[in-house]
Amino acid sequence: MENFLDRLVFEPLKHFYERLITFLPNLLTALIITGVGLFLGWLLKGIIIRILNIINLDKFCERAGIIQALEKGGIKESPSRLAGKIVYWLVVISFLIMSLDALNIPAVGNLLTKFLLFLPNLFVAFIILIFGYFLSNFLGRAALIASVNAGIKVSGFIAKSVKLIVFLLTLAMALEQLGIGKETVQIAFAIIFGGVILALAIAFGLGGRDIAKDYLERKLKGEGDKEGLTHL
Amino acid sequence: MTEGVTLRKEIGERLSDIGKVDILIGIPSYNNAKTIGHVVQAVQGGLAKYFPEKRAVLVNSDGGSTDGTPDIITHTTLDLHSILVSHRVTPPLKFVIPYHGIPGKGSAFRTIFEIANTLEVKACAVVDADLRSITPEWVDLLIRPIIEAGYDYVTPYYLRHKYDGTITNNIVYPLTRALYGKKIRQPIGGDFGLSGKLISFFLAKEGIWGTDVAKFGIDIWMTTTAIAYNFRICQAFLGAKIHDPKEPSADLSAMLHQVIGSIFDLMETYQHIWMAIRGSEPVPIFGFQYEVGVEPIDINLDAMIDKFKLGVRELEGIWELFLNENILDLLKRLAGPQGKNNFFFPDDVWAKIIFDFAAAAHQRVMGKEHLLKSLTPLYLGKVASFVIETWDSSASEVEERIERLCLAFEETKPHLIERWD
Repeated sequence: MENFLDRLVFEPLKHFYERLITFLPNLLTALIITGVGLFLGWLLKGIIIRILNIINLDKFCERAGIIQALEKGGIKESPSRLAGKIVYWLVVISFLIMSLDALNIPAVGNLLTKFLLFLPNLFVAFIILIFGYFLSNFLGRAALIASVNAGIKVSGFIAKSVKLIVFLLTLAMALEQLGIGKETVQIAFAIIFGGVILALAIAFGLGGRDIAKDYLERKLKGEGDKEGLTHL
Repeated sequence: MTEGVTLRKEIGERLSDIGKVDILIGIPSYNNAKTIGHVVQAVQGGLAKYFPEKRAVLVNSDGGSTDGTPDIITHTTLDLHSILVSHRVTPPLKFVIPYHGIPGKGSAFRTIFEIANTLEVKACAVVDADLRSITPEWVDLLIRPIIEAGYDYVTPYYLRHKYDGTITNNIVYPLTRALYGKKIRQPIGGDFGLSGKLISFFLAKEGIWGTDVAKFGIDIWMTTTAIAYNFRICQAFLGAKIHDPKEPSADLSAMLHQVIGSIFDLMETYQHIWMAIRGSEPVPIFGFQYEVGVEPIDINLDAMIDKFKLGVRELEGIWELFLNENILDLLKRLAGPQGKNNFFFPDDVWAKIIFDFAAAAHQRVMGKEHLLKSLTPLYLGKVASFVIETWDSSASEVEERIERLCLAFEETKPHLIERWD
């Protein structure tokens, strides 16, 4: 009977106790790492916000139209606070990963390895998107100013199209980087882009044949729609 | 004699053989075969007629013409009997050399100045190669104030059609005058007289020859630098300015970017000077002033107003970053459906707009190229208003109108100082 109780109750309990004893220091280490991470994140967030306030990042972002862009995306916080938060979460997540690793659980370890291997892709995709956003804004504005100065009535449409196409291109690149629907994204983008170009070609070729002829004739004769002034 | 940094060794040796020279006339050129012969003859005639006893050199600094411009200069001679009853002069020496470095008028000027400095000239004049109205008198008018009256810098004073040089009339002249307090009517005229002292001073400013000044901003840079360092400046009345038509494809917005961008860059350099200046003072004018007939200009007023309206409709989102609401409201009213005769762009609003663009460039609200190119529709609106107002005006009435615009810039200057930082 005693032997039976030992095998059925005490041994598993003893085994559990031994594993618990082994696990507890790891848990404690993980908790300490998490705590340090939270503290460091909070500290760095404060430092970053202060530095960015000193260099007037918010004012610069307001002038560059970044705040307006963030507001359009539903983000009401100032860029300096946003940067502080990003730093905070980067630190916290890094320490959380370390603390999970400290637990020494194989399943968690495997997941972490996969996640860590995926992180560079995520980072590159994020950079591509940010770069794409600014590039599309820049090229959209350049197209708007150039087409207004050329007297093109549909300048706004041209600028928005340029902006959208550039952003779609970078979005496709970012998704490709993440490996999400790799071939689907490429094919979809090629179809949409090709379709737009074909539609424009047909529209200009058929609808604007006379306008194009007139425009080219005036350009070749050197007349253009100039104002007739010598400006300098 | 000191040898310039951009001159080749063999040219330096040729210059050493020549020794000291009194007068140098520089002609920067690039594909000016149609007009260069006339310019060279006018210069030769001017030197023979007005400075027969002076040693003179004619320097052409060419930017790689493919139409035979340098050959024409080499082979052009003037029969002096056609302008002088008797003469005992030898024709001036000619240098036809390509310039090196960044392509542009500034690099061409640098080469001319290097030669002038090496030859220790007393006075130098630079004239554009595309001039059709240059006469021998121009040489006298650009050189004599330096040699005989001790001036360092002579700017041109032309008679032009009332709608010729609209960037100069509506922006460059009023802005330069309000900033630096000197009534220099043609700050970027293209034809100037310079003393040897000023040339040495310009060449000593080594940092600028690798910048945009080397490409296109040399005229305004020379004028502004001469004012900023208190060199003695006067103007020379040269009569009509008629030049070969520019390329029809010359882009107005690129022109605005280059010219106004150069002025804004100089505002950064000389902030400590223009901030303290209020009002303006006259600059002496040499030469007998007379009325001349100038070539008529066809104006496409509707195209200008259409572009202004299109700009107000589409570029408001850009302008609202640095123009205040009152100005934007006025622009929207102007772009409304009222008739051409009611299209009036007030001077003080125009001055404020230019000052706001200057402050926006200073504060780097956006890239300077985008910023200045977005000025194009506003500029066309202002010019359209100017044309409507002065349609029946004589040349002197137009000058009075420009004077009122300049006063508006001077009175509005506190707005610039307030917006600058």
